[in-house]
Amino acid sequence: MRMIWNEMKKILTWRMLTFLLLVNAVLYFLLISFDIEYFPNGRPALDGYHLGIEMIEEYGVLMDEEEMLDFRRQFESRKEEANEYLQARPEFAEAGIDGYEGLVTSDWDNEEQQNLHSQIMHEQQVDLFWELQERSRLIDFHDTKEMIGFEPNTLQQTRFDKLLTEGKYQAYPEVVIQNFKEFIVHVGITILFSVVLLISPFILKDRTRRLLDLQYTSKIGRSLYKTKLIAGILSAGLVITMLLAFYFSLYAQNGTSPYFSLGVNAFIANLTWYDPTFLQYIWLCILAIYVIGFIFTMLAMSVSSVVPNFVTLIGIQIPLIFVMLLIGFNILLGDIISVQFPQWLVPCLYGLLSIVSAGLLIYLMKREKVKDISE
Amino acid sequence: MLVVKEVTKQYGDFTALRDIQLEFETGLYGLLAPNGAGKTTLIKMLTTLLYPTKGEILYNGNNISDMDSSYRELLGYLPQQFGYYKNYSPKQYLLYLSALKGISKKEALPKIIELLDKVALGDVMNKKMKKFSGGMVQRVGIAQALLNDPKILILDEPTAGLDPKERARFRILLTDLARSRLVIVSTHIVSDIESIANEIIMIKNQQILYKDSVETICGTLDGAVFETSMEFEQLESFRQSHVLLSEKQEYGKMIVRFIHKETPLVDWLPVQPQLEDVFLYEYRDETNGTEQ
Amino acid sequence: MYECRKVIQSPIFLGLFLLFSVYNIYLIVSSSDHKEELKIVNELIDIYGRDISDTSLARLDQDIQQEMTQLKRSVGLEFESVQELLENMSLEEQETYSQEQWSQIQQLAVKEMYFNTARSIDENYAVITIQAAGEDEVRRYGLSGSAASYLLQEYEKLDKRFKELVKNEEHKQWFFAGKAYFMHSFLFQTVFRHIIIESLLLIVLATALITAYEFEQKTQLLMFSTKRGRKLMKDKLTASIVIALVTMIFLLGITLGTFFIVFDYSHVWSTSISSAFNWEYNFPYIAWWDISFETFLWLVAGIVLAGGLLMSCLTFALSAVVKNSYIAFAGIALFFVAVLLLPSFMSKSSILFFITGYNLSQLLLGIPNSFMGGGLTGSRNYEWLTVSCWTLIAAGICFVAYRRFTKMDIG
Repeated sequence: MRMIWNEMKKILTWRMLTFLLLVNAVLYFLLISFDIEYFPNGRPALDGYHLGIEMIEEYGVLMDEEEMLDFRRQFESRKEEANEYLQARPEFAEAGIDGYEGLVTSDWDNEEQQNLHSQIMHEQQVDLFWELQERSRLIDFHDTKEMIGFEPNTLQQTRFDKLLTEGKYQAYPEVVIQNFKEFIVHVGITILFSVVLLISPFILKDRTRRLLDLQYTSKIGRSLYKTKLIAGILSAGLVITMLLAFYFSLYAQNGTSPYFSLGVNAFIANLTWYDPTFLQYIWLCILAIYVIGFIFTMLAMSVSSVVPNFVTLIGIQIPLIFVMLLIGFNILLGDIISVQFPQWLVPCLYGLLSIVSAGLLIYLMKREKVKDISE
Repeated sequence: MLVVKEVTKQYGDFTALRDIQLEFETGLYGLLAPNGAGKTTLIKMLTTLLYPTKGEILYNGNNISDMDSSYRELLGYLPQQFGYYKNYSPKQYLLYLSALKGISKKEALPKIIELLDKVALGDVMNKKMKKFSGGMVQRVGIAQALLNDPKILILDEPTAGLDPKERARFRILLTDLARSRLVIVSTHIVSDIESIANEIIMIKNQQILYKDSVETICGTLDGAVFETSMEFEQLESFRQSHVLLSEKQEYGKMIVRFIHKETPLVDWLPVQPQLEDVFLYEYRDETNGTEQ
Repeated sequence: MYECRKVIQSPIFLGLFLLFSVYNIYLIVSSSDHKEELKIVNELIDIYGRDISDTSLARLDQDIQQEMTQLKRSVGLEFESVQELLENMSLEEQETYSQEQWSQIQQLAVKEMYFNTARSIDENYAVITIQAAGEDEVRRYGLSGSAASYLLQEYEKLDKRFKELVKNEEHKQWFFAGKAYFMHSFLFQTVFRHIIIESLLLIVLATALITAYEFEQKTQLLMFSTKRGRKLMKDKLTASIVIALVTMIFLLGITLGTFFIVFDYSHVWSTSISSAFNWEYNFPYIAWWDISFETFLWLVAGIVLAGGLLMSCLTFALSAVVKNSYIAFAGIALFFVAVLLLPSFMSKSSILFFITGYNLSQLLLGIPNSFMGGGLTGSRNYEWLTVSCWTLIAAGICFVAYRRFTKMDIG
């Protein structure tokens, strides 16, 4: 409808869009760029990343006991290679290192051994040894796959046991999921700021500029308020979509697609209430960002409809955003299905927030119909 | 056509208007009162911006709140101070408003051009309004009020910012419009409407004081308005005993126009009461109230 | 000052201020479980004096031995150190001790810890090689060229200072154990950072409100054509600065007041900030001058006040030009973050990397390391240089903005 488009034009002005660009640029460099540029972040993360892909190619998305044995066999054979590498170099024997085991258990105080150790790992960065280190770490997890890894309550333990019966072990390196969680929370924060900055002022602006007299006495009258709300939500949706598209195109550079079909519980230390694949989890997070975005759009519009000036508009939203940054994003996005929180918490919070923000708007819509317009 | 039926407007324990009873037909009505008397309150109730505390406003028998958009469709309103978007041109601004008024873009465009021409803004149609003078903005306001060819045209202080030539042109426009619709002009510039209004409505003490033709209202002061001249020194004492309507200095003496209800002095010149005289006389001891 | 009233009368300002104060108090109180243990340091200073010398240590040792003997008798066990006792104790055994015994054990354990740390001060400080640390930093940040040489130079200077410090034994004073309690970080990083961010939010909002007020209330035609006229803007600047000052003083007062009520610092006020106990991470805190905790606190508070006032001026300048408090607020926030990020865009081989670090944002966020050597902002002159440079910049910007305003059309 023409009126909705007219209102949207008032929100998405060139000035505002340029401003959004600046905000996103700054927030990108502050928060997101690290997750993209430094992925995987050094070693052993890099090795974890590659190993994970290898594991998926060879073993699929689940590892059973057989496959874990095979993994261990591979480790042993790689260890042999390492032994040969070390034994071929006399400096190691001189320092008292006779093989791979010797290298990893070398004495902290033995300076010569430490030098050699750092030579291989840090200066030369010999791939083989990093790979072995990561494999060894993974095998440790494979060996303890029946143990939950932290002090669980009954519900958490039950969930873990259920996964065990389905043969879903935590076997795969967690680099990718950790990176994604950080990334998505940072993107979420950026999008939240973008949306709130964009949407907050426009309803207040019409009020301070005394446009209501003309708007509300026209044929459409006070229903225009509803139109404004719709325009706000649509504008927010548009901006969220564009930003998500942009940031995910950057994320694609991380090359995590091989992991897409892996169940999220297969990542080490990532116990969750549900078992989506990584790709489904990504979609879930995207949906979450939309919902959070819309909730705050509605809240911003509510505040904008009530406050007398811009400073109060900002002032009231500051605590809301504060809380969101402090704990909201972790609960609602980063650890959205993690067993860290009771299963009912996240859906309840979303439900509550949605109901409150939508309810506020409905109340304000009704009020606008019968309010005296005397400003 | 438009009936204000026993309407009262209260804000808490402050009463702005009390028991207002008015009937409007086609023609031009002037709403005359000092600031704070309740003019704007009444206007805002007629335009659905405020809701009466008691009583109702009916158009052809139907309550205007209930009629909702079908009432507002017939309404053209120019507020005392209206907002606009500085970065819009008048054409863009009117296009925006025409959408709100339910006029399709196709229909609206020629009308907009015609109206802007009518208010002599044809050659600045595409310039940003932030560059406009106050008078130009006011004329855009007048144009927008006429966009939907309203049956009820309500104008609050419409000639603010217009120069005498524009005001004269405006009077002609109003007379023309009032031939086939209801036009209500709220103002305290008496000269704007005294020559063109069918009826004048004056509000005093939260109630209607007069609703009558100009002649009848002026008639209330028949034989009570005089002019005389005197020395400057006599002025002060004269002021104490009479309601002065105007003082003019001419050839070293003061010519005063005043009200005197009893037997006049011989050398006083009786003059025809004007609407302004009635205005000054009726509101002579009004303290400015607050108008919401 | 009528201009100040405009802010104070705005309920949101007071509301936010209250909210922030309450939050700060909550923050402090909720992290206060170890406050009783901290009192032990006060005891130590009382009995053994502030400075740690061989004699005082010997006395402490004696007293600890005495108490240990007492304790051994009371619990009927043999042990070399309380640490040992605790390590070997199971949860059930813990239950068997009375409240009194348990607190005795804990107190003694803490004293022991302090004693051990004190004893090893010399050897710990002996292994510190400042130069090597400098090289580590260069490697860590991947610096080269003039940037690298600059940093190494700074570390050289720090080396000299360090040796001086060790010679004067400035670091041999009792303080709350850094690695156990992290009091320095808690106060100067966590608490101060909250104060700073909250103050900045309040200050920017208040300044933007005051400065853009006439335009947003549409009284601009009226106000600026009075006798005072456009000079009113000067009043607004003054009012903004006053409000900024008052806000910060109150917020600092309430928050720090709570802090010092909860945590008893009464005896460590005069302890040097470079105390060996003030060692939380890889490096002890090494201040460029011999300043006490109290002095440090005042200096840091001074930085916060200066920073806040400067931000107020910058906000004023922006608001005067855009005449819209919303844009001004968002603009200043953007500016603050952008300036903070600036160094990361500089080439790591150029000295610009460091020069761009001399900015307000960095200064305000790096409070725990103020006046200290080490790191990227460890230069001796960092603080006063940054403050004075930015004072000049802010003054210049305000001046230009004000001039522009006086020449501008007011529509």
